[in-house]
Amino acid sequence: MLQFLRYLGQRVGGAIATVFAGAIAVFLIMKAAPGDPAMFVLGDFATQQSIAAFRARHSLDQPVLTQLWLWLETVLAGNLGESVSLYAGRDIAQLIGQRMPSTAFLGIYALLLALVSSLVLGTVAALQRGRTADAAVTLFAVVGISMPDFWLGYVLVLAFALTLGWLPAYGFTPPGESLTGALVTGLLPALAIAAPLAAVFSRILRVSLLETVERDYVTAARSMGYNEAFIFINYVLRNALIPFVTIVGLQVRYLLGGVVVIERIFGVPGIGSLMVDAAFARDYAVVQACALTFLVIVLTVNLIVDLVCVLLDPRRSH
Amino acid sequence: MRWLASIGRRIRGNPTALAGTIVMGVLVVLIVVGPWLIPYSPTRMNYSNLLKPPSLAHPFGTDSFGRDVFVRVLYGARVSLFCSLTGILLAAVIGTLMGLLAGYFGRVYEATLMRLADLLFAFPSFVLALFLMFVFGFGVLNVVLAIGLVYLPGFARLARNMTLLVKEEAYVQAAKVSGQTPFRIMTREILPNIAPPLIVRLSLGFAFGVVIEAGLSFLGLGVQPPTPSLGLIMSDAKEYFQRAPWVLTLTGLGISVILLGLNLLGDGLRDMMDPRLRRREEA
Repeated sequence: MLQFLRYLGQRVGGAIATVFAGAIAVFLIMKAAPGDPAMFVLGDFATQQSIAAFRARHSLDQPVLTQLWLWLETVLAGNLGESVSLYAGRDIAQLIGQRMPSTAFLGIYALLLALVSSLVLGTVAALQRGRTADAAVTLFAVVGISMPDFWLGYVLVLAFALTLGWLPAYGFTPPGESLTGALVTGLLPALAIAAPLAAVFSRILRVSLLETVERDYVTAARSMGYNEAFIFINYVLRNALIPFVTIVGLQVRYLLGGVVVIERIFGVPGIGSLMVDAAFARDYAVVQACALTFLVIVLTVNLIVDLVCVLLDPRRSH
Repeated sequence: MRWLASIGRRIRGNPTALAGTIVMGVLVVLIVVGPWLIPYSPTRMNYSNLLKPPSLAHPFGTDSFGRDVFVRVLYGARVSLFCSLTGILLAAVIGTLMGLLAGYFGRVYEATLMRLADLLFAFPSFVLALFLMFVFGFGVLNVVLAIGLVYLPGFARLARNMTLLVKEEAYVQAAKVSGQTPFRIMTREILPNIAPPLIVRLSLGFAFGVVIEAGLSFLGLGVQPPTPSLGLIMSDAKEYFQRAPWVLTLTGLGISVILLGLNLLGDGLRDMMDPRLRRREEA
């Protein structure tokens, strides 16, 4: 237990350090942008006075190191500065906080759909190795990773919304307003994100299961006369899940990329669509805060994945 | 030539690689030769022929300006493949160089580089690409740059890890003892031996590069009109998706076929270059 806590402490500390390194990196990349940020936001026809006022208001007249410090201070305080054009003057952390539930809901929804379907598909393929079902899953895996999620989104809209009329084509009810509403309106966007992921996951699980089946401890368990279902769940699946969970964790970066485009297509008021809206409104403060938020989400998920792996395989914390 | 023939033999022996090669071969011929054979211009508008569904004359239909969508997809594929290939090659060359130096010389340089790579690696790749496009501005060259920067850390990490493995091998030690320069050791001894996984990553990354270009341009943050790219054609088509769904759907299908070809090719290459992995997949 003590060992586990020490491990946890190390990992959390590392993640926090990475967030600050990320904040510095985002700031430096932003400063490498050509041109004056005030002109960029206000446009070429802005007056001298308005530019000067903008620079003073957003501390652009300070030395770069002071600006960096001010930005890190807002990260430390957790308010992430204020929006400069899209929602001028609003606290960015507040904007992100409002939109976080939608993004989190969509991401988790898609992840669950992908996990459940890949657990079924991967297991079936491994058990039916070399037969038709296995070939079908392999085919699905190859085709699945070759479909861009935003295209799949439109295909789903065409089939289930425009042709069949079962689900809405556009719009999203945030989970805070109505959970059933969110489940229904979120189904198509979640499916679009989940399908390519399910393809990757089921393929990994299949290979991982087939490797585990041949291990000595499985043969040993079989020689002790346990029934096959018991062996499969307690010996094969549990050990095969460790590499699987690691891959799932790595794919979350990919999933979040998909969320950005899909949110925009389906009108989901999440962080991804906030980032795109801010990019069009030239709101650099919101864009950099969103980039940092995505980094924080990835790090949090990585942390959870590591902990799940430790739970599955306690040797890992040593 | 013998070298080429040997590759040909190995591809024939590997169904995945063979399928990928055929798909990509057909696509490349279509993209290179196709526009000459099709009697339509990708840019000239024809107002008597707006939003026509697919037919023999226009296999992908026509768009809101009466232009043939199929020929536009062929031109768009040129732009998309160019962006992805250039970006990924940029990442591969610079990333491999950085990783090789880090792995070979180690110390402070290695520590700094790997921290930086880990940091960039923690951002979702599409978010990083979007952020870079916002900072440096839209357009073809910046899409190339964004794809390159997004994949740079992956190549650097892989090259560094492989170099660390290979560095201790007897043949590298022998080259060192015999007084060869570090440059010669790195290019003659280490690079050929770490190349296979890098080439596999290159071919799979090529596919993801196409997705990044398409996603960015689709949002309107990538390639800008009038240059046709696959993402941009889909971006236009989403405005009239309800009236003419085929424009977006068939263009996306084109992207899927490209990705299918590249993924099959990448998987096949991986099997061919790493027999250990192949046994695992077949197991």
